[in-house]
Amino acid sequence: MSLAFDDYGRPYIILRDQGQKKRMKGLEAYKSNILAAKAVANTLSSSLGPKGMDKMLVSPDGDVSVTNDGATIVEKMEIQHPTAKLLVELSQSQDAEIGDGTTGVVVLAGKLLEQALTLLDKGIHPLKISDGFDRACDVAIKHLETISEEIDIQANDNEALVQAACTALGSKVVSKRKRELGKIAVTAVLDVADLARRDVNLDLIKIQTKTGGSVEDTRLISGILIDKDMSHPQMPKEVKDAKICLLTCPFEPPKPKTKHNINISSADDYKKLYLQEQQYFVDMVKLVKNSGANIALCQWGFDDEANHLLLQNELPAVRWVSGTDVELIAMATGARIIPRFQEITPEKLGKAGCVKEVQFGTSNERMLVIENCQCTKAVTILIRGGSQMIVDEAKRSIHDAICVIRNLIKDNRIVYGGGSAELACAIQVLQYADEVSSVEQYAIRSFADALEGIPCCLADNCGLNPITSVAQAKALQLKENNPRIGIDCMELGTIDMKEQRIYETLSSKKQQIQLATQVVKMILKIDDVIAPDDY
Amino acid sequence: MSQFLQPTILLLREGTDTSQGRAQIVSNINAVQAVADVVKSTLGPRGMDKMIQTGPKVTISNDGATILNLLEVVHPAARVLVDIAKSQDDEVGDGTTSTTLLAAELLKEAKPFIEEGIHPQIVIQGYRKALELALEKLEGFSINISKDSIESKRDTLIKCAQTALNSKLLANTKQFFSELVVSAVEKLDPNILDRDLIGIKNVTGGNITDSFLVDGVAFKKTFSYAGFEQQPKRFENPKICLLNLELELKSEKENAEIRIEKPEEYQSIVDAEWALIYEKLEIIVKAGAQIVLSKLPIGDLATQYFADRNIFCAGRVAQEDLLRVQKATGGQVQTTVNGLNPETFGTCGLFEEVQVGAERYNLFKNCPQSRTATIVLRGGAEQFIQEAERSLNDAIMIVRRCFKANKIVAGGGAIELEISRFLRHYARSVTGKTQYIVNSFAKALEVIPRTIAENAGLNSIEIMNKLRQKHAQGGEEGRWYGVDINGASGVCDTHQSFVWEPTLVKRNALCSATEAACAILSIDETVKNPKSDQDTKMKPKGQPGRPPMGMRR
Repeated sequence: MSLAFDDYGRPYIILRDQGQKKRMKGLEAYKSNILAAKAVANTLSSSLGPKGMDKMLVSPDGDVSVTNDGATIVEKMEIQHPTAKLLVELSQSQDAEIGDGTTGVVVLAGKLLEQALTLLDKGIHPLKISDGFDRACDVAIKHLETISEEIDIQANDNEALVQAACTALGSKVVSKRKRELGKIAVTAVLDVADLARRDVNLDLIKIQTKTGGSVEDTRLISGILIDKDMSHPQMPKEVKDAKICLLTCPFEPPKPKTKHNINISSADDYKKLYLQEQQYFVDMVKLVKNSGANIALCQWGFDDEANHLLLQNELPAVRWVSGTDVELIAMATGARIIPRFQEITPEKLGKAGCVKEVQFGTSNERMLVIENCQCTKAVTILIRGGSQMIVDEAKRSIHDAICVIRNLIKDNRIVYGGGSAELACAIQVLQYADEVSSVEQYAIRSFADALEGIPCCLADNCGLNPITSVAQAKALQLKENNPRIGIDCMELGTIDMKEQRIYETLSSKKQQIQLATQVVKMILKIDDVIAPDDY
Repeated sequence: MSQFLQPTILLLREGTDTSQGRAQIVSNINAVQAVADVVKSTLGPRGMDKMIQTGPKVTISNDGATILNLLEVVHPAARVLVDIAKSQDDEVGDGTTSTTLLAAELLKEAKPFIEEGIHPQIVIQGYRKALELALEKLEGFSINISKDSIESKRDTLIKCAQTALNSKLLANTKQFFSELVVSAVEKLDPNILDRDLIGIKNVTGGNITDSFLVDGVAFKKTFSYAGFEQQPKRFENPKICLLNLELELKSEKENAEIRIEKPEEYQSIVDAEWALIYEKLEIIVKAGAQIVLSKLPIGDLATQYFADRNIFCAGRVAQEDLLRVQKATGGQVQTTVNGLNPETFGTCGLFEEVQVGAERYNLFKNCPQSRTATIVLRGGAEQFIQEAERSLNDAIMIVRRCFKANKIVAGGGAIELEISRFLRHYARSVTGKTQYIVNSFAKALEVIPRTIAENAGLNSIEIMNKLRQKHAQGGEEGRWYGVDINGASGVCDTHQSFVWEPTLVKRNALCSATEAACAILSIDETVKNPKSDQDTKMKPKGQPGRPPMGMRR
């Protein structure tokens, strides 16, 4: 790019490496940005809804993943284009904040940009468009709040939560088992939720995967599952009424941190040293034993010598337990983490009903389950499935469901899914558009069209005729003044989403519309792109 | 330059580029113009953003200084523009685009004079004279707010912050953010107004209006060791101990070596090391601390020790965060725990660890000696928040300045036009070439309202004529007419529509733009060493100005 030329037509060298930079200005810049972003949105649009399709993504090192989760797809696509990257971040921030609706937000942004493109062709100033979108967004959000319904999350055995989880799981590969998985997710969240503060620390829910078996075998362990086994094969496989000793020091003679040397001058001394070491092991085991512990979990490894001694003393032990697991176990069993043997006291031990080793299928892999912990503050969901891909996808799906439940605990207002909420907002925004006298009217109307794009896309993915079904739903919404009419994706014969029990959280829908509008506004404000020439 | 018959005298190293004379000045002016054109479209409430990709990083910005900096300008004359934008940014924080535009416009006006053979020094003199008069008038026109009551002063500050945010991505939520910014600045010590004490933290996710102000300090949960989750996460009126101390089991001296003779002594060394760390921890616990923050790591041992005693701890707290906690809570950072005095502990109304988006944040709220505030920004994409941060930074600087200076003028090009009118009037009273030059200065000032109008897609010629007419009425009535981007007529009294800016911004912009223009006008020769090109390439990016090592021959 050259910014200016002198009288002889030679370019001024103004910028560093200016020969290798490219510049796009004005309409060209808007269009190229919008097209790039739309391309991303188009990729995702077929994944939307209960009949959405999955994507298969192959990473640079050949790992294959199959997923339906918007945030995961765009992340693994490794998008280079700067504007398209904005959409990736959009999806990820929806993921971070809400955890669900990551596909919807990108599709909506894509629809908005598509509308913006036609408006730009009409010659409307991009900032007028974004002003219009902004006003429309406010109207839509307000309307969402009026049509939202508060639900009692605890009523009827947490039925509402289960339904919401089912909606989130409905579009995933595990949808056949959505009821069971939904229940598991609800129980898991409620176990760790702090209902008084309406806060859920998701770190306390551990999701462990194991290939083999089928998705039905997925279960909730009210306790912790760690991918470790007893340090010695002859140790007992099950410990009832376990008193757990959590150690963060190795079963080894202690080493000073300061650099040290041991100079041995005689054979006697050598023997002494050997005995001293032996003594250490004996003492350590004794200390653990004396405290009343009947199982020791250690963050570090231990000597074979120590292992042998532990076996002799009938003290089952587990080595190399990771730091996060140690913390989770401490939380669940009420144990205190013990940094050195001298400090072991009976009060610091954690209590659990049962610690046992379980084996899966015919494989030799074993895992350790800690169940019936004293204070079940941590839970584990063990996901089983036919292949690694299924298991991974199931993990992502359950994560989505857990997030939805968490959001409902935080804010128990819901809207109905199946595109009904979007349609209701579109109708409201369209009405509002007629009241605006300035150029923004066009933009507001386009916003309504973009919102209608979501049910359209849903219908399309379900193999319905998008235009007929959306038109039908819209007409019915207007006629009956019922914001719960949506698209009958599952072909259950009713288009009232309340009857179909398709619940979505208000916070997720609100966030989707707001975030999408925000990013679209940002893209529309860029009129100049300066970038290296090579992309 | 024709040296056909004369023997060549080699004065400079071969390849040295020397250009000189009038052509050089004109060529410099052209280069400056080109750079100013890049930022031109960002001015005003309808200004657009630029997206600049440098390496893998993409920046989207509306801030003149940021854009110019990212452009990596190498042209020596054009670099002057980058420098004044930067100095405006450092000094007042806002008005960087208008400074750049003004400087370029002054040069553009000077170009015909130079081409016609007027000596550059005369132009410079004229500009200096005009500047002097302009500044005088600027002071005269500005409205003093120092006598106003506190409420109306706060109101004025909010208006100023809104004006600064007008052209940014946050324009639609300017009401919300201007109040946020003013509340944040009000928290500071009014005598110093240290900018560093307002922290801005970015958390992606959430809507932009979910951003909030913490009356105190907020920072992201630091790296924690096992046992951290067992610590309490909420305190009321806690005692906060601030340390610059490593709390880990470690060797006391780096190169120490221990020789022991008997195996029994071995245990004593181990015990001694443990005793050292336990001693430290015990002192802290005994002193009654409930929250322990350290700039250096707090190891797993200490984490668990504190967890056992219901104490919250966080290691590796960033320097600036620790400083803010210190200011907010009234505590003092200790470098040793020997003789730890509970009086050095700070306190705050409420400490809490909360989830913000995907991150966990430590919040210290309701601090008694609060001289600090933290803004937690939320938004959809990383770039969005970064730009929001830059915009808020501008607003904060403006409010700070306004707090101190107490004088404001109306924006939207109104003050520039008023000064321009005055200068035109004045020009008629001088004889000689200066008349032309003062006139040009006056004309150059019009670039601000003209560009605002152009960017908003208005007919700039029509608007300018309307504005000139209003201002020509003289007196109070037409004084504050500026560009109105919303109304049908395109002009309005910007003072009444609350487009206010601190006088200082304008003052600094006028001064530095004129200085820059004069500097460029007075250059009539560039001697460019061929190596200087390579040097700039060799320099690592992001460290301009540092001489490359090992390049001297």
